[in-house]
Amino acid sequence: MAARLSEPRTGSTRVLSLLDDGRTDAPPGILDEGAKREIRRATLTAVCVPGYQVPFGSREMPVARGWGSGGLQVTLGVVGSGDVLKVIDQGDDGGVNATNLRRMISSTMGCAATTDTREATVVQTRHRVPEEALGAEQIVVYQVPVPEPLRGVEKSVAECARMHAEQDYSAMWVSLYEDLVRNGVITKSTGYPVLVGGRYVMATSPVPRWDVPRLHMSEHLNLYGAGREKRIYAIPPHTAVEPLTFDDVPFEVEHIPDGTCAYCGSDDTFLVEASGGQYVCSDSDWCGRAADGDVDRAAHRERVPLAWLPDPRRRVAATARDTAEAPRPAAGVRPTAAADGPEWALRVDGIGKVHGPGGAAAVPGTGPEHATAISPATGAVVAAWDVSFDVAPGEALGLIGESGSGKSTVLRCVIGDETATAGSVRLSGVDGGRTDVLALDPSARRGLRVDTMAVVYQDPAAGLDLNVTAGGNIAERLTAAGWRGYHAIRRRVAELLDRVEVPLSRMDDAVGTFSGGMRQRVQIAKALATEPPVLLLDEPTTGLDASVAAGVLDLLRGLLIERNVAAVVVSHDFAVIEALTERSVVMQLGRVIESGLTDQLFRDPHHPYTQRLVAAARR
Amino acid sequence: MPTPQPDRPGAVLTVRELRKTFTLHTIDGRTVVSLDGVDLDVAAGEHVAVAGPSGAGKSSLLRCIHRSYLPDSGSVLLHTPDGPVELTALPDRALARLRGREIGYVSQFLTPPPRTGPLDVVAAAARRRGLAPAEARDAAAESLHRLGLDEALWDVDCGVLSGGERQRINLAAGTVRPPRLLLLDEPVSALDPRNRERALQLIASLTDQGVAVVAVFHDLDAMRQLATRVVQMTDARIVAEGPARDILGAVA
Repeated sequence: MAARLSEPRTGSTRVLSLLDDGRTDAPPGILDEGAKREIRRATLTAVCVPGYQVPFGSREMPVARGWGSGGLQVTLGVVGSGDVLKVIDQGDDGGVNATNLRRMISSTMGCAATTDTREATVVQTRHRVPEEALGAEQIVVYQVPVPEPLRGVEKSVAECARMHAEQDYSAMWVSLYEDLVRNGVITKSTGYPVLVGGRYVMATSPVPRWDVPRLHMSEHLNLYGAGREKRIYAIPPHTAVEPLTFDDVPFEVEHIPDGTCAYCGSDDTFLVEASGGQYVCSDSDWCGRAADGDVDRAAHRERVPLAWLPDPRRRVAATARDTAEAPRPAAGVRPTAAADGPEWALRVDGIGKVHGPGGAAAVPGTGPEHATAISPATGAVVAAWDVSFDVAPGEALGLIGESGSGKSTVLRCVIGDETATAGSVRLSGVDGGRTDVLALDPSARRGLRVDTMAVVYQDPAAGLDLNVTAGGNIAERLTAAGWRGYHAIRRRVAELLDRVEVPLSRMDDAVGTFSGGMRQRVQIAKALATEPPVLLLDEPTTGLDASVAAGVLDLLRGLLIERNVAAVVVSHDFAVIEALTERSVVMQLGRVIESGLTDQLFRDPHHPYTQRLVAAARR
Repeated sequence: MPTPQPDRPGAVLTVRELRKTFTLHTIDGRTVVSLDGVDLDVAAGEHVAVAGPSGAGKSSLLRCIHRSYLPDSGSVLLHTPDGPVELTALPDRALARLRGREIGYVSQFLTPPPRTGPLDVVAAAARRRGLAPAEARDAAAESLHRLGLDEALWDVDCGVLSGGERQRINLAAGTVRPPRLLLLDEPVSALDPRNRERALQLIASLTDQGVAVVAVFHDLDAMRQLATRVVQMTDARIVAEGPARDILGAVA
């Protein structure tokens, strides 16, 4: 039995009383009551929204940020004089950090301290969940170095917040996919991402994968504190915690084959390497008591994650062949053109975009008849105004005009990259075309880009992550659409790359190593991955040299013929428009000046501007 | 001037008072009158040849019917099983679909999609007329055989083929799965005598099948051989109309 440590309460108090300039009535402590309230408020919110990172007003602590200042604050917020505290660092109660923290907290808070997990009511830890069983009376406080599970895939804090809010975790899935492609297994060890309560993806922070199953439906309360990032999050008791992994890729814990603890002989604890090629338990309390015979080994064996030991037969390299017919997610219900539905798939009415002050009031005095797009009244640039068109399934519409005529602006307003000043956009796949999608909230609009309306940008870097493999880029769209089978994703990616004539041998190469034409093909494959009914192409071949552009053009023409998509093609190049579209809209200075069948516009252009464009194309 | 007979049985095309003027904005805005009030009636199984000197408006007439030129005024009615359709007022999308199904247009020069082989070009046309992919390829193959295009060329990029070969591909695409109305603009101008004869036989057989044909030929023999009626155009107007031997005889 480990003895309860009784330590004098002199050290810190003495320092504090010096700082207090002689005041002896001040209660000992590191945090004032206001700071504790702030922490408790955040902690309660965190418990109410499992896995969600709650911001809080983090204080300066007598440890460096990133070294446990968050866990320390949470502990100080929840611990009372009746509590019994245990502190673990690297699985060890006796390390310098653990000992100092334990002494400091118990001396300033007036609580008891212990190294025995069974006696502790609050366990502050870094790196481990104790091997001992934990119960409803116990709180485990984790010192979190990196609270954001998406940090590795997204640098922007605001973007991470958006991804959590919209439960948009496809970037996370792509990183798991990439890991599997490169290594055949998921190599991420500590901080393994889990889905908490079916809602938030959370970093399990410093614990190994070995401890992750312990968090699922636990009896105890888990609190996570990150001082540097000023975040507190929680896994309350009886909450589902699922490690993220593909349906056909089993989650694995760390395992040292035939490893046993050199000290206590356990073969079912989390082992770490000691000197001389030997292994020891990464839990000094458990190990010491196991050596003394003071543990329930049978009950422990029920807790340990033996079901998740690595099994080479279930890894992706071995299962690639078995699962030839693995199921795919059911294709989204695609409303076929109902008899009473609209004949168009996309309808744009009166789209306008004004950059600068004035809004619609800036429009008078601009346009082709005034030979300027700059408002004489406000100086605003009227990039597009009163642009309307619709496109039916199986039809391609061209949007043609010189650079600066506003065609790309219109496309960006339709897809949602820019906010339109005026007008409406309807999709037959959304509420039968009755809803103006411009009025939807940003998250719903972003959702449309997953499987309803895809865009191919002129610059492949705008639509692809160049550091990610060709397969991973396409997997991003598929996982966003709900695909969770690794092999199903691989097969779908192979199909798509084959269709766009990218050699399958390049499937697992980063797109950044591809030529411009190949990148554009990958971008097209990604756009087609979920078979969206509407496809927007913004200068798809501009920037490619002539022979490569011709290849991409042929590909697009073939795809538009074979799939029943409604396509909008933006180009300044009449040859591209002629090769791809049946109908076209001609834009000049932000306005539509002529529209009609593409062959008619080409052979019998009416507007002087169109005649000039056609004459230029013929040269 | 022909007498309008819009209600005669078998009417396929009724053109009335068709006018087309070009305004050339890139050249000092001058105007060129191409059609100055043209009337034309074509029935199923009729082959109307449009004769006249260069610049008389023959090709403009075909293109205004097809609406690759947009007429200024006048009426172009296509009689379909669903009733007459006014082509000049038809919305673009509906016209694009109707063209695919009902109207074949064979121009003097083939402008196929770049880097596409003859079989694909013709099969695509057959698909627009409503055939399933496999049937369309069969129909395309038959059509190319009939026009004597060497099978070795069927998957070669059209752009590298000779003028005569391209013209036959063009004719095959215009006539595969025969449309209701066939517009031919110098369809055999680049063919050698043997292939020309094959092409003319094909066109004649279409007329026998009930296709309404409006054609422009420079060569009088072809007109004499094929036309059931000839209209003579001069200066953007139809100046005479009648059986081939009457009109062509008068011209010659």
